[in-house]
Amino acid sequence: MMKYDVVVVGAGGAGMQAALNASYGSSLKIAVLSKIFPTRSHTGAAQGGINAALGYRDATDSIEKHFKDTVKGSDFLADQDAVQFFTENMPKIISELDYMGVPFSRDQNGHIAQRPFGGASSPRTCYSADKTGHVILHSLYEQCLQQGIHFYDDWFLLSLVVKDNELEGLVAMDMRKGEIQAIQAKAVVIATGGFGRVFWSRTTNAINMTGDGTAACFNAGIPLKDPEFVQFHPTGLASTGVLVSEACRGEGGYLLNKDGERFMKRYAPDKMELGPRDLVARSIETEIKEGRGFGEGMNSYVLMDLRHLGKERIMQRLPQVRELALNFEGVDIIHEPVPVRPSCHYMMGGISVSDYKTLATSVHGIHAVGECCCVSIHGANRLGGNSVADVVLFGKYAGLGARQTAENREFGSIEKLEEEQNKWIEKFKMMRKKTAGIKFFEIRDKMAEAMWYHVGIFRVGSEIEQALATLDEAIEEYKDAYIGDSSERYNMAFINYVELGNLLKLAKAVTIGALNRKESRGSHSRGDFTQRDDKNYLKHTLVYYDEGRFRLDYAPVMITSYQPEERKY
Amino acid sequence: MKKLKITIKRYDGQKSWNQDYEIDYEKGRTVLWSLTMIREKLDSTLVFSSACQHGICGSCAIKINGKTVLVCQTPLDSMLNLFKTDRLIYEPMSHFEVIRDLAVAWEPKMEKMKKVNPWLIPIEAGTKENGFLQGADDFQKISSATDCILCGICTSECNQLEVNDGTFLDPFIFNKAYRFAVDSRDCASEDHVHPAYENELWKCLHCMQCVSNCPKHIDLTGEISALRNMSMKMGETKNQGARHARAFYEDTWKKGQLNETMLPIKTDGLLKTAATKVPFALRMMKTGKINPLELQKPVNGIKGVRELYDYAKEVEKSES
Ligand SMILES: Cc1cc2nc3c(=O)[nH]c(=O)nc-3n(C[C@H](O)[C@H](O)[C@H](O)COP(=O)(O)OP(=O)(O)OC[C@H]3O[C@@H](n4cnc5c(N)ncnc54)[C@H](O)[C@@H]3O)c2cc1C
Ligand code: SF4
Ligand code: SF4
Ligand code: FES
Repeated sequence: MMKYDVVVVGAGGAGMQAALNASYGSSLKIAVLSKIFPTRSHTGAAQGGINAALGYRDATDSIEKHFKDTVKGSDFLADQDAVQFFTENMPKIISELDYMGVPFSRDQNGHIAQRPFGGASSPRTCYSADKTGHVILHSLYEQCLQQGIHFYDDWFLLSLVVKDNELEGLVAMDMRKGEIQAIQAKAVVIATGGFGRVFWSRTTNAINMTGDGTAACFNAGIPLKDPEFVQFHPTGLASTGVLVSEACRGEGGYLLNKDGERFMKRYAPDKMELGPRDLVARSIETEIKEGRGFGEGMNSYVLMDLRHLGKERIMQRLPQVRELALNFEGVDIIHEPVPVRPSCHYMMGGISVSDYKTLATSVHGIHAVGECCCVSIHGANRLGGNSVADVVLFGKYAGLGARQTAENREFGSIEKLEEEQNKWIEKFKMMRKKTAGIKFFEIRDKMAEAMWYHVGIFRVGSEIEQALATLDEAIEEYKDAYIGDSSERYNMAFINYVELGNLLKLAKAVTIGALNRKESRGSHSRGDFTQRDDKNYLKHTLVYYDEGRFRLDYAPVMITSYQPEERKY
Repeated sequence: MKKLKITIKRYDGQKSWNQDYEIDYEKGRTVLWSLTMIREKLDSTLVFSSACQHGICGSCAIKINGKTVLVCQTPLDSMLNLFKTDRLIYEPMSHFEVIRDLAVAWEPKMEKMKKVNPWLIPIEAGTKENGFLQGADDFQKISSATDCILCGICTSECNQLEVNDGTFLDPFIFNKAYRFAVDSRDCASEDHVHPAYENELWKCLHCMQCVSNCPKHIDLTGEISALRNMSMKMGETKNQGARHARAFYEDTWKKGQLNETMLPIKTDGLLKTAATKVPFALRMMKTGKINPLELQKPVNGIKGVRELYDYAKEVEKSES
């Protein structure tokens, strides 16, 4: 049986940072599993930047301001001790990234350049043109190559094996061979990214953002924290959902309705287009709902106008955005405004982390980091530029934490691992043989539709219940799903089938969380409970999966120095 | 309704075959859409890679009627118009190991990339605690090169790799070497440049296939020229330049003989450059008078090449 001290699952920003930091100067045997080649990870899609209060652009910026912005942005649902730790350590992490060779844009003094971003009271978002995540991801990968990190590419995590709340290892598929392997491990870091694909095509997320690690932890008994908080990015391209960077608004882009009006003046008179995401997304949807958008129904949109920035500034600061708009919308932003509308963008919720300094979870041996988890520093709404920051900072501490765990633990037994491995081998065999049933793509679309219409930007109790019923149906149908590919080698249909199983489970957790949070807070907006209700809901949702049943619980929010107040921009 | 005929080169690990599909044409769709339609409506055994869907992850390149593109950002119409056809042929990229159907393996390429030490070797002025200072102009020098998404299109299109035994570095690897060699935060240009010229930097044919297909518009041949210049300079101090120039000269001569059919495409300016200038290029380099890499007009066929070599020998004789 394969055996590693530390197994990192996921090779995005979080996973690679964890692997690097677990390996520096240590003799531990470390492996990184990734279902796609590392540089394909979705961290590479982050365009806008990464937040750290370095104060280069604005000397009045401070850790304190970054802290307050983050907590306020979170609509007071973030744990303030964790946010403090996060904002305090970010400047150091930026230097570390610089030292790894990340090509940051520079200011006239040779310092790392910073730009304004939504929800930030000072311009503190460090960037590299509009490819920040891409250059960070590639630099981390280069460091891994240098460090000799052992990657298993095209390996897919199927499940975690836990006995008496102790990790024993995991079961994964070597996709190219079609072999299912059990791996013994002293510590595992789950870093598998978000699960925006519960909305399938209505998201800015990559096709593989299916929350496999989140679901594996959920199955293993670790609760999901705050899954109902889903961020909708205000500016997806109207026809494809592909993201247009927030940097556009940061650089001064206008949002216009069909009367040519900068409608944000109604919703955030001071910040205008730079208001936080949830507010801007809802503002756009409200304009559309009230008939001031362009187009009809599902195809409605508003315009983002960048023309006044001028060609030079657009070419210099937003070259990728220009290309995106050209390729996918046929619009040159130098000459024309581009049609946009909100898309599901980020999952604030995820695997509940119980110690923000080690990223440990409630199961001994399992750590979780990045978008797949919930620390929580984003609370009910994440600020732009805080996620890549989250990923690289907590990635580091997850690596150090896992290392500590591995150093203090022994390998467990292998019986349960073998059992789990055999279960998957049988399942794979069975699915390959099956020649009839319900096509899993259809089940997927059913789920996504229910989620978009009823658990999307605006939510109402009765509709959420409807979604729940549809999801239960889909989960039933899934049992009779059929994949249509009998081959052993690189059976992507089987992989997609397993992914769908994970999505269904997570979609249901999102829905249960949403139904039971009878208030509006951050990204969670209830038409039937329009106010924030601190008395009853200033608490984290916890959803458990016990023996096939979903169970709901709550946990307190850590408030240190910043008492909840009305969130006004 | 207009139909779209698509032939896909399939591979299951053992055998390879061509399979025809037909889907309804829809205006304004991407190639990725066509693959997704085939997979979800007609044949769920079809395997291809894609992730981000917007040209940043680099996972989705395939060959369409011989031209390598990112399927997620390539409109079907542009391919239909380019090839003036209603039948498109999808194949996996060239010069990669195929896993299944259109999916290829990257690990061998990364092993190869390690040769150029593809990581920053930091200057002393930088620290982990405070990072570096770097001028905005110095950032500009690495800005374009760091756009590379490792999609492999340049590799798939490369004419030297078509005839090479695999030693020649893939264009994106030269890009990586260049990116670190010119980074003001890196103290060891040689550690990136030297392995590049050890691995046939001089064999690039300057055919520009890589550049004209790179989705990030990276000036790969410009970078290769720059690497050559750097290697010449380094070679001079190490007295190795001559050896490399010689190797280049001989190899070009051999290639000409080995692969005559490739010559019409490949016998471009470099052969002439090689023939006429390389033997005494070093002398001229020293005085900074010539650029041995400047592009010349194409030469037709091996005959022309040999004539050039003869001519070069003449020149050499008369000069010495
Ligand atoms: C379009 C877009 C733009 C964004 N822009 C910004 C921005 O400007 N600033 C910002 O701060 N944030 C931004 N974000 C958010 C941010 O990019 C992500 O939240 C963050 O990068 C997630 O990183 P990660 O390491 O957690 O996961 P990812 O980078 O998504 O990596 C997940 C990894 O897990 C692996 N994996 C998944 N499942 C399995 C499995 N079953 N088995 C094995 N491996 C598996 C994958 O292969 C992958 O390597 C953006 C997000 C999107 C979608
Ligand atoms: S210019 Fe050189 S590297 Fe580029 S495709 Fe031609 S031979 Fe290959
Ligand atoms: S250099 Fe261009 S074509 Fe080659 S891998 Fe990089 S992005 Fe792709
Ligand atoms: S899918 Fe990412 S580049 Fe095409």
